[in-house]
Amino acid sequence: MNAAVTNNLASAAVVVRRTIAASAEDLFDAWLDPEALAQWMRPGTIISTVARVEPRVGGNYEITMQSQSGPIVTKGVYRHIERPKRLVFTWISGPAENQETLVTVDFVRLDKRTEVIVTHEQLPESAMPSHRNGWTSGLEHLDEACQKGLIG
Amino acid sequence: MGEYQSRQLDGVFNALCDPTRRAILARLTDADARVTEIAADFPISLNSISKHIRMLERAGLLRRSIVGRDHVLTLNAGPLADAQAWIEKYRRFWEGRLDALEAYVMKKNSTGKRKRK
Repeated sequence: MNAAVTNNLASAAVVVRRTIAASAEDLFDAWLDPEALAQWMRPGTIISTVARVEPRVGGNYEITMQSQSGPIVTKGVYRHIERPKRLVFTWISGPAENQETLVTVDFVRLDKRTEVIVTHEQLPESAMPSHRNGWTSGLEHLDEACQKGLIG
Repeated sequence: MGEYQSRQLDGVFNALCDPTRRAILARLTDADARVTEIAADFPISLNSISKHIRMLERAGLLRRSIVGRDHVLTLNAGPLADAQAWIEKYRRFWEGRLDALEAYVMKKNSTGKRKRK
């Protein structure tokens, strides 16, 4: 993905932040270690996770989450690895959404703690069902996001 | 195709990050309305309202049909629902993963400290 496209998409993003009482190095390393990923890349509905990583720029990763209804495979390529400050990788989670999206993880030192900021950009290709119901509450969430400067 | 959809999503967000445009959409969730009716609801000029409406049209969030001399606006929630669904899905996903990352690193560090004693 070229820079122009990236800039174009900058306003459409999910941003999630968490301040954790650990060093930036410990937190950063947990993103590139397959054994660590197998433990924390496992949402509640997932039985087990297997991760395979090539921790270098241009290297691939593949995370297979085993669910009741079969495996969910997410893969991508590392675009930027700057220990312990920033990690950027593409994210393709199939088969529902086979389009490339981009995840940037920033690690900000705050005294003895570290703020981890995950920014996930771009829209998947899959067409999702559209509903008129629940629309107004969606607007309220967006308003909150706009005011926080997360999008727009 | 992907780039087209991404641009469309971008337009959706730009269109939504304005209180007047959100109010226009909220008005249309109840019922379709004529442009003149919408204009009467807001204390700004018809010209300004028209600009907001054109932006919402470009983002695919509303449709305009011409009935006689009236321009009737209809909400099209599809693009917003897509954007909202994607954002909600990944917001929940990453919130959950950061919880798990925290638990993992805290546990690992406390185990490591005990071993060093």
